[in-house]
Amino acid sequence: MLVEGRDKFQKDPVANLIDLENREVSVAALHDRDLYELEMEKIFAKGWLMLGHDSEIPNVGDYVVRLMGEDQVIVARHSDNTVHVSLNVCPHRAMHICISDSGNARAHKCIYHGWAFRPDGSFIGAPIEKEQMHGTIKPKSELGLKKARCQVYGGLIFATWGGEEAMTLEEWMGDMKFYYDMLFKRTDRGLEVLGPPQRLTIDANWKTAGEQSACDGFHTLTLHQSLLDRGAMVGEAGTEHEKAPAMYGVNLSANGHSLRCIPADTSWSLMAKNPQKDLTDEQRLELMPPPGITKELLPQVKKNLTPEQLHVFAKAPPVVGGMFPNVNMLFIFSPFPDGTLGSALVLHTINPKGPDHFEWVTFFFGEKDASPEYKDMMRQAAAQGTGTSGVIEQDDSDTWPHMSESSRGVIGRTETLKYQAILGENRPADWPNKAKVYAGFSKDDCQWEWWVQYHKMMTA
Amino acid sequence: MSITKPTPSRAGPNAVEVMYGSPVYSQVMQFLNKEARLLDHRELRAWSSMLATDLVYTAPVRSTRRVEGFHEEFGSIGHFDDDYNSIMSRIDRLVGTASAWSEDPPSRTRRFVTNVTVHETETPDEYAISSYLLLTRNRADAKDYKQLSAERLDRLRWTGGRFLLFRREILVDQVVLGMPNLAVFL
Repeated sequence: MLVEGRDKFQKDPVANLIDLENREVSVAALHDRDLYELEMEKIFAKGWLMLGHDSEIPNVGDYVVRLMGEDQVIVARHSDNTVHVSLNVCPHRAMHICISDSGNARAHKCIYHGWAFRPDGSFIGAPIEKEQMHGTIKPKSELGLKKARCQVYGGLIFATWGGEEAMTLEEWMGDMKFYYDMLFKRTDRGLEVLGPPQRLTIDANWKTAGEQSACDGFHTLTLHQSLLDRGAMVGEAGTEHEKAPAMYGVNLSANGHSLRCIPADTSWSLMAKNPQKDLTDEQRLELMPPPGITKELLPQVKKNLTPEQLHVFAKAPPVVGGMFPNVNMLFIFSPFPDGTLGSALVLHTINPKGPDHFEWVTFFFGEKDASPEYKDMMRQAAAQGTGTSGVIEQDDSDTWPHMSESSRGVIGRTETLKYQAILGENRPADWPNKAKVYAGFSKDDCQWEWWVQYHKMMTA
Repeated sequence: MSITKPTPSRAGPNAVEVMYGSPVYSQVMQFLNKEARLLDHRELRAWSSMLATDLVYTAPVRSTRRVEGFHEEFGSIGHFDDDYNSIMSRIDRLVGTASAWSEDPPSRTRRFVTNVTVHETETPDEYAISSYLLLTRNRADAKDYKQLSAERLDRLRWTGGRFLLFRREILVDQVVLGMPNLAVFL
């Protein structure tokens, strides 16, 4: 049997599950409880996790409660305006300090025995100060909430339990930061959430959605066939795109993170039905600004990005992708039924809830400086295409539970996930020398890199 | 696409309640029962004929809030955030293609509609309706059901001898939905 006791995993957690030479992963990796607990320790308690956005907590005292693995954390804005991430567990009797999803509090007071904490997690005191109900053994400075290391990047709030000795968020992102900057740091005031996130439960192992986020372009042809059938995705007639629209592009990967860039020409034939050739980067951006960007915002984009980044935007903007281990993102054009072209900026987090379940959280974004009407459009485009009822993603959410169910069969779990369609690194001459670049028909390269990062963290 | 300010879905505090058992109340009940039956039997095109072309169809996300923050329970993002065109587009995908996998094979659903109250509005021939919905959804060989309960706030308009739905706001009771998608209508 592939899966044995936990001691065995501790020594060599994934040797029996990941075949590095043949690029296969045992289906048993989607099932085992001991392996899952190790993932929580080695990945979710070590890596940088995306928790939300600073526009969710604009005022001092604002907070939201989020998940890091199965640990609830309080993400709060302190009186000095800094963002802090603290474990939502009272150091006194392990009661949750915050019992609502969001709110505003200058002091978080535990409803059980009244221990109180500031938004930065520090301990204020227990009731009846003169009786010293926090005891005399430990000083107040040691009785604060457990703190995660927190960093805000492009408004996105990240945290890690890895402490000061862990790598920085920039090191964690590696070369992908160059491309993420194009999405999160392209305008003067950046993005904002368009409301609190959608949340739902999917009866599948978190890795089913995790690995798909790493540029699984292939599944669009079949799983999302209905979009092709209905003309929401079409390829230019008489070209290689005719039968396989949006399959040729540039996939990018570093440290398990990835993005998939779709040539603007494809988007034009798809949306404008008017392919334009031989244009400068400037003309291309003017004709079709990237998803979420209006003509009015283009000057900001040009100011904030380098010519190399602008060239990527003009040639093939990043459209979908993820951040290891549990972020999935879409920066997409989205045609409305009336023929107008919308766009949606969507981030998902995949929050493990035991080996057989995860919580799928969906954030919708818009540029802060976009008009209210444009944000309304983006909110509707995002809800109609992605998330709970989205016509794209409702088919994905139907697929992942099948994979987990397969892993429950003693024979099913001896099967493997195969990542053997290899394109190989292949950087076009005019593409920046950043990250691993796979130009061509979307294959398994980036998803395999996701598992390589998984293997690295599980064996570290 | 056009952005229209949706009609407030809940009846105002001074709205006159329509008597239980009155002709209008009976017509509303007939409408609600009929659409539940059509949706449960996957007759989506027939259901669409009960929708007005100015339909606004939303299901705002919900958050757990302390009582003092209760008024902020519902957010500006929706599980649904639709209009007539987008609903028709969803129906076309579900019944007009052979690849809408989230509902192929289809769920077996029952929509139980109860606790119906009907109020008059400031516009003659338009009524504000609150109903409770319990949806049971069974799929493939699952032995149990995914369930969803909600209050629905509807506006119906009497047009040409029949009611049409032009506003529906679905207030789902779950903060974290127990089903993996809403590929079904509520």
